[in-house]
Amino acid sequence: MNQKRKIRVLVAKPGLDGHERGAHVVAYGLRDAGFEVIYTGLRQTTEQIVNAAIQEDVDVIGLSILSGAHVSLTRKVLDELKNQKAEDIMVIVGGIVPSEDIRDLKEMGVREVFTAGTPISAISDFIESAIPAD
Amino acid sequence: MAEDNKYLEKIKTQQKEWEENVLQKRVKRFNLKESPTKFYSPLSTIKNDFCEKVGFPGQYPYTSGNNPFDFWRAYAGDAAKMGYRPDWGGAGGVGKYGGFGTAEDYRDYLIRMHSMGRTGGPNMAFDLVTQCGYDSDSPFADGEVGRVGVAIDTFRDFATIYEPYTGALEIDKVPSNFTINAPAAIIIAMYAVLADKRGVPLNKLKGTPQNDILKEFIARGTYIFPPKPSLRLFRDTCVFCTQLMPELNINSMGGYHIREAGASRVQDLAFSMANAAAYLQTGIDGGLAVDLFAPKFTFNAFGGSMEIYPEIAFQRAARRIYARMLKERFHAKNPRSMLIRQPITAHIGCSSTTLQRPLNNLTRAVVGGMAAGMSGGMPGAFPPFDEPMGLGHSQEAVQLQLDATRILIYEAKVSDVNDPWAGSYFMESLTDEIEEQTIAEMEKIENMGGAVAAIENGYMQKAIAKSSYQKQRKIDKQEEFVIGVNCYTGQNEINVNVNREVEASYDPELMKSAEKRQKEKLSRLKRERDNTTVHSLLSTLRQHAKDEAVNLMPDICKCVENDVSLQEICDVFREVFGEFQQAKL
Amino acid sequence: MKNSWDKLIQGIREKDIRAMARLITRVENREDGWKTAMTEIYPLTGKARVFGITGSPGAGKSTLTCEIARELADRGHTVGIIAVDPSSPFSGGALLGDRLRMQQIFTIKEIYIRSMATRGMLGGLCQAARDVIRIMDAFGKDVILIETVGVGQDEIEIVKTADRVMVVCIPGMGDGIQAIKAGVMEIADLYVINKADKPGADEVEADIQAMLSLSSDLECVAPPVLQTSALKKQGILELVSALLENPADTKKQKVKEEIRIKEEILSLMEREVFRQVRSVWENEGSLLDSVSQVMQKTSDPYTIVKQMLLNHKHR
Repeated sequence: MNQKRKIRVLVAKPGLDGHERGAHVVAYGLRDAGFEVIYTGLRQTTEQIVNAAIQEDVDVIGLSILSGAHVSLTRKVLDELKNQKAEDIMVIVGGIVPSEDIRDLKEMGVREVFTAGTPISAISDFIESAIPAD
Repeated sequence: MAEDNKYLEKIKTQQKEWEENVLQKRVKRFNLKESPTKFYSPLSTIKNDFCEKVGFPGQYPYTSGNNPFDFWRAYAGDAAKMGYRPDWGGAGGVGKYGGFGTAEDYRDYLIRMHSMGRTGGPNMAFDLVTQCGYDSDSPFADGEVGRVGVAIDTFRDFATIYEPYTGALEIDKVPSNFTINAPAAIIIAMYAVLADKRGVPLNKLKGTPQNDILKEFIARGTYIFPPKPSLRLFRDTCVFCTQLMPELNINSMGGYHIREAGASRVQDLAFSMANAAAYLQTGIDGGLAVDLFAPKFTFNAFGGSMEIYPEIAFQRAARRIYARMLKERFHAKNPRSMLIRQPITAHIGCSSTTLQRPLNNLTRAVVGGMAAGMSGGMPGAFPPFDEPMGLGHSQEAVQLQLDATRILIYEAKVSDVNDPWAGSYFMESLTDEIEEQTIAEMEKIENMGGAVAAIENGYMQKAIAKSSYQKQRKIDKQEEFVIGVNCYTGQNEINVNVNREVEASYDPELMKSAEKRQKEKLSRLKRERDNTTVHSLLSTLRQHAKDEAVNLMPDICKCVENDVSLQEICDVFREVFGEFQQAKL
Repeated sequence: MKNSWDKLIQGIREKDIRAMARLITRVENREDGWKTAMTEIYPLTGKARVFGITGSPGAGKSTLTCEIARELADRGHTVGIIAVDPSSPFSGGALLGDRLRMQQIFTIKEIYIRSMATRGMLGGLCQAARDVIRIMDAFGKDVILIETVGVGQDEIEIVKTADRVMVVCIPGMGDGIQAIKAGVMEIADLYVINKADKPGADEVEADIQAMLSLSSDLECVAPPVLQTSALKKQGILELVSALLENPADTKKQKVKEEIRIKEEILSLMEREVFRQVRSVWENEGSLLDSVSQVMQKTSDPYTIVKQMLLNHKHR
């Protein structure tokens, strides 16, 4: 009885930005795509996000940022992941991100950036194809 | 009367005949289950009494508008001849919404604006650190100081911003806007202390703090304390402003953020009305007569969308619901208490804009402008088309936005008639429908114990999260269409690019160094100020905070005057009131 | 393989949190070798005390769990938390939100929080929960809190894996405690009235006491009833002390433990037999044949099961 491995995703909002619509929609959407989604709420520090990701053994961290501070906040999360030797956890970013910044984020190690107008299926398809099925 | 009945009978007969012989025939011919369009006849509104439901503009229940005509309409011809730009301020208004970096950075920016003739009052955006009640040296501030607004740690920062506002621009002459909620009491106190130090009588101060904490729990997320003590702070500002600063607006409420967070139209209206009711009751419980303070309540905006008809009906229903609530539930007598005072009426929301083929957003903004012009407001095209591109608005986008509004006013003459839809069978029945649904939702919240209870138990937050997800699913499943997003995205379509120059209003180098400079300034101040006084003021504040009956404004004023920082004040409240904890989804 | 079972088990011995987290995932996913891994871990277990926390939605269980964990950590305990939320029956996915109410303890080193979805496993959730508890126990967590909503049978079953179960009530819950499922009330070793700062707490307490006095089992020591306000951090000290107190009735505890072990063996056996039978059946394709036989009315489900078991026995 080999049941399909469950993909676990942490949806996190770093920093003080309180716009939750994107995080809510993605959390519900990924749940309905069959993922186990852990949502940790607003104002998460880098340490809280990385600790949660490790404890929950998630495959993916989705950061939702709409304050314009996406580059610095994401860098901090990536650094902390490295610090805790968990850089194998995939990081994706969603929010209002200008195209120049998308390039920078990807260079930093973000696997994909999803901006406004992305259908949820694009996010779930991406995750499914990017996570090894072992 | 017999004549009327005969007339209605005739329509009924004809409608039946039409439905059977004309409509159904066509529906069948196209193999549909039902007609994709609707048609309304006098039968839709037979119950309506014009005087009771619509009334003349500027008369109860204000369905057709707050005024026979707005002040801007009186001067529209002159404004065109003068080339007046509303975003530059002047004429006793506030300037463009903004703020960044340290108080010094923002002050210098304002001086530059003044030198260009843009002399509106400060219309302050605060950084998230300030909005969440932290100082720049807090670990939570890391990376966010001066980013989405100016950083205010102490009264000195606040006073620095006002340095260029003297003489003809003295604070009794120009108004200020403070877009802040959880720490609004502290910013209002700073404003009062500034006036005091300058010898400006408090009762001459003009301006508008947002001071709408309830919607932060529901939509925007910059809350600090739980709802109940938050309303206590609101009460203290409401009483303080009413008694000492009667020219100042008390708040700027609204459903804009609620809708942008994903609420449906009815949730937007019902939740913001429930919030308004909570504020009104708080003022009354604070010992104020409703007509003393309700006229100083304002709204910033409700939410909007591309659905032009229901957005017009929404505005008409909103005015009627609010007026009736004030009159019937809160027993207001003063007509000004009953008005939804807001700078714009209908519009599209920022969430109605798309990143795909962004120039289409100009078309969308014009639709919103039409809705505004036909729902009792200036036909303001909003927002600039490059809103979703996330780089700040370009000069080109702002120019086109202004021109769109002007074209609607001067060429299309949209604003030459008040409430042009009044009496429309369709619009009146749609207005009734929105009103009925809203009142049902308001009653549901009332039965839970009002807005505070519906926030504490997470009802409003969950309802919005669900609505936003449903909306997204409809788009994903192509049950709703967004051009360039989920349809018309094929190879036949081309991208339309325009040159954009983003006005470099905020120096990126200053933005980068703001955190360091702000922290240094704060640590110097914390060393140099009279810390014994600070401690004793904070301990008095703590004591008084524990006693619900005490109005905290005088204590907060003393604190800010003595360089107690925003976070130090908030920390005392955190200790006494606790912090708000989000509800589970 | 990068994360072989051995390496993960070694990691557990070395108190590597990532190893524990990964081991939980793999055991929860029932990856090949999970039973061997659990066998290896078993000798390391048996030291932790396990407390179940259940009650109706909105009772403030997560916040209460958070405060209990914080207090336990303050007293020098290392704590594991298992927060169970239901999986969607449609997609199999889940939105695990209990962590959101535990933000304040995310970074306390002694506390490990794991969200767990029910995954629609008929009865299997219980075993999965036992396994997760054991992994945390083997890691060295000396108190483990398992939190579930007391609405479904599955959830009730899980908390029964705990040494002691507290049922959380709140004031103003309709007709006293009627809102709580009868099945939940029966498993309580301790009652907590949370949000006791709100009016009506004493009424709920009186209701519970009245219900307890109806209990026919006179030999039993009545479970204590405590009042707390997790948000205001009131009553937490007393609650934690009551939890940690040795159960007054050790005889009852022993009986309970015997039942638990028996249930676990039976459930493991049940699943194992079922798994074996089913895998043979599926591999040989006879399951589909049987279905078509029933559809064509050439056989019936009862006969098919009987035959199947007979065949299995003779293998």
